[in-house]
Amino acid sequence: MRGTGMLLPRAAIGVSRWRRFRAAVDWPLILVILALCTLGLLNLYSATRGVRHHAKFDTQVQWMVVGVIGFALATIVDYRAMVRVAWPGLGVAIALLLIARVLGRPSSGDTHGITYRWLNIGGMGIQPSELAKLMVILVLARIFQDTEPSSYTPRALLGRLAILAVPICLIAMQPDLGTAILLGLIVLSVGFLAMPSVWPMVHVTLACLLSIPILWETMHDYQQKRIVGFIDCGIAPTKECWHTQQSIYAVGSGKIWGKGFLEGTQNQFNFVPEHWTDFPYSVWAEEWGFVGSVVLLAIFGFLLVWILNVALSARDRIGAVICAGVAAMTFWHVVVNVAMVLGIAPVVGVTLPFISYGGSSLVTFFLAMGLVANVSLRKHGY
Amino acid sequence: MLIRQSAGPGSGNGPALPELHRRLKWLALIGIGALVVLVGRLWQLQVMRGESYYERTVSNVVKERYLPSVRGKILDRKGVALADNRPAFNIYAVPKQLTKVLELELVRMLGLSDDEIAKIDERLEIGRKRDARTPIAILEDQGRDRAALIEQSLARLPGVEIRHEPYRFYPAGDLAAHLIGYMTQMTAAEADRLGNQGYDASELVGRYGLEDKWENYLRGKKGIERFAVDARGQRLDEATASALIQGEHGVPAVPGANLVLTIDAELQALAEKAVSHVNAAGVVVVEPKTGKIRAIVSRPSFNPNVMTGHLTQAEETMLKQDPRKPFIDKALRMTYPPASIFKFVTAIAALEDGQAAEDENMICTGQYQLSGTVFSCHGTHGKVNLLQAIQHSCDTYFWKLAERVGLDRIAQVATEYGLGRPTNLGLNGDASGRIPTKDWYDKTSRYKIGYAANAAIGQGDVEVTVLQMAMAYAALANGGTLYVPQVVDRLEAHDGHVITSYEPQVAKLVKTPTSLVEIWKRGMWKVSNEAGGTAFEHGHVDLVNVMGKTGSAEVKKHHKDGGEKDVERWNPNAAHAWFAGWAPAEDPEIAIVVLVEHGGAGGTVAWPIAKQIIEGYFTKIRNPPLVRPAAPAKGAKP
Repeated sequence: MRGTGMLLPRAAIGVSRWRRFRAAVDWPLILVILALCTLGLLNLYSATRGVRHHAKFDTQVQWMVVGVIGFALATIVDYRAMVRVAWPGLGVAIALLLIARVLGRPSSGDTHGITYRWLNIGGMGIQPSELAKLMVILVLARIFQDTEPSSYTPRALLGRLAILAVPICLIAMQPDLGTAILLGLIVLSVGFLAMPSVWPMVHVTLACLLSIPILWETMHDYQQKRIVGFIDCGIAPTKECWHTQQSIYAVGSGKIWGKGFLEGTQNQFNFVPEHWTDFPYSVWAEEWGFVGSVVLLAIFGFLLVWILNVALSARDRIGAVICAGVAAMTFWHVVVNVAMVLGIAPVVGVTLPFISYGGSSLVTFFLAMGLVANVSLRKHGY
Repeated sequence: MLIRQSAGPGSGNGPALPELHRRLKWLALIGIGALVVLVGRLWQLQVMRGESYYERTVSNVVKERYLPSVRGKILDRKGVALADNRPAFNIYAVPKQLTKVLELELVRMLGLSDDEIAKIDERLEIGRKRDARTPIAILEDQGRDRAALIEQSLARLPGVEIRHEPYRFYPAGDLAAHLIGYMTQMTAAEADRLGNQGYDASELVGRYGLEDKWENYLRGKKGIERFAVDARGQRLDEATASALIQGEHGVPAVPGANLVLTIDAELQALAEKAVSHVNAAGVVVVEPKTGKIRAIVSRPSFNPNVMTGHLTQAEETMLKQDPRKPFIDKALRMTYPPASIFKFVTAIAALEDGQAAEDENMICTGQYQLSGTVFSCHGTHGKVNLLQAIQHSCDTYFWKLAERVGLDRIAQVATEYGLGRPTNLGLNGDASGRIPTKDWYDKTSRYKIGYAANAAIGQGDVEVTVLQMAMAYAALANGGTLYVPQVVDRLEAHDGHVITSYEPQVAKLVKTPTSLVEIWKRGMWKVSNEAGGTAFEHGHVDLVNVMGKTGSAEVKKHHKDGGEKDVERWNPNAAHAWFAGWAPAEDPEIAIVVLVEHGGAGGTVAWPIAKQIIEGYFTKIRNPPLVRPAAPAKGAKP
């Protein structure tokens, strides 16, 4: 059965088109996103209350509008149509990564020299790596759409997975180790969820683990320092190490009930630097305490369960794999970011979905959730 | 349950992705596992360790700063300030913010010397170790022009600030410098130790004299100011700070107590002027009836204003290389052979034992042979009795007495008068000196009777301090009360009310019968009032009757070539000149001991100095001053 990509289904006779559409829309998903965005803005307001950063709140609201439009588009256009052009899409993402490599400008606030994360399009900085994440998810859906066992022979898989390694390597070379690892985790996770047999993925995982020493050698000094510094602040007292320490103080000082909205001293007086991008969870935890921190995690937990729910009830394999990909992306973003804030993972630039400040990340998650809504909508026959 | 066990409509034949269904429990396991880890960590940080992290964040924001307490003054007995405070500009910097570039900017702007740069670096090092975010004084007591230069460019110098703080100041310059002392920066080790007692690393501490000894009373109690800062160390406004600071916003500082001395600044100045022409000297003027010190001089001196924070490397080296050792207190730390002023000990020992009489005559041939050694008297005195022997300072007479009483009796009497042990003034390493005994000699070599002969005239291994001698002569003058010397009369709070008043303290009552001491005194009378007296020959005080004894202590001639080139007229082979005495003879008001190191003969060098001080005291210091001419001296008996 193939979707038509149109809003008028054949079975719509006799019922108001609008009422049918309204019943098919995934309202719980939209409500959760709305809740996260609200909390995110609340948190951003507190995090950037200092006069110097006040414009960030307005910027974030503007990006949210863009995100909502993106969500709508990602919902309306049939996902099967999107998956059909997944490979060319990935090609575009790789091309953009290469262009960023050539035309790259130093990302602001980064003291480690020139990095190649940003592309300037019409005065807006966008990160091609974010686009790459979405394209990888779509490509994975295409790879795993077949039910034929012959599609899953090592030979058939290896070539296609090897292509996925291209964007991962390009992103790692930007250098943006966090995003590269995250992309790898998405591929592995989806593989584990969608392959008829898990053994090939076990092998790939082992290979990845074994290549860690080689990876270590190719890492930049500052990246090595971050990791060593994470293991022990005493060995390599880096800026990131200090960030982590201050972040732990911020989280811990929230105690059970938190210091209250706008009352977090670590946040208000900038002891956790750049807390609106990578460390918003520490702002949240300081001001809302253990209770608030668990509530926020619970909301993310609900979101994940809901996405999986959509995956389980998807009408086809493609939809299910897309949902699995989005779930994996959300899961790893949340886990890595929160673990980093809590000082149990090294500091890598991984955002907290809908809470972190930053247009690229925000729009990416809106688009990803749009894909989920898309799958959810189309199980009702659209 | 949220997860509906249904396949999508339309597929009809089983779930779209059966693998997902099969692996759902693994998925749940991983999800729950991650949740448990994160929530567990949250629990650990926020619930278990929350309180301590909370305190950490408070200490991140709320900082404490010490408010300096004004140091107590040191005043003379009439209230003249010898150590005071004046306002000064101190330059502070936050070590974390003072980069090399900024430091260079500062150096260029102020035209700092290498010494000053070295000092700044040292301070910053100490500061970094303690708390790199707390400002530390890098340059004290800077001139108005430097302060103005920095004030103008504060915007370009983050973390640098100018504070207007009290600074130690000695209005009288080098007057009584050894007694008053000075203050210096603490060493790194001291900073570590005193840091717990509320000292700032950049603070000065009392380093010498009273400043050192009375540090705890003078420094007062520092106040504390609490304030709030952001991550860059910028102070937050009052309203924000009030919300963050729990409890007191600060504790006001308590000024230090003022130290009122027994010293008379005028007499001190007079005494210092009297020794200004000699290279090295020690003078003590003490009130015999109380043991209160009126003046205490150690020359050469130093300027405590320079020592307190302004000493350059070159000056320090120069002071340290001076052969006269300016940093050793000549009045109570350095010990000298007392020579003839020690003879009262020998005389009293012999008189007590009945081994001497006032009118016993002996013949001085200029030489005296004792168990094979020939001792030379400094003159040929012919037939002399005890009083004449004192008058002319004849050594032969006392050698004979020594032969009769032995070394240990001499030592016993010397000890009775407090010689050979610290006076308990407790300043500047109050030395004990040495009164040798037979046992002492037996420990090193073998005792010989010659040692007793040497000791009898205060030579050989006898060593005392000027202060010990002053207290002993005060005891002779007052009829046998040996006092503990006293320089601090009372402690006053900054508002003038007396905290503690110190009473004269008696060390011991000397057992010698007064009648025997009177014999010695009759000898002293002759020294300063009769022709042939070692003092009288070099001047006489008409204003008041003076009792005195001179001494010329020979030194071991181990210095090969006399003068060390850098000090003029400094001959380390010359004898130490002594004078000890008191006035008025009848009712002593002051006892005085003068020592001129390597000055020569007591009568020609030390006595004129003492005479000048005594005359000055009775005409200028004493209230009312004496105007009557002294009674005709000759033949009069005290």
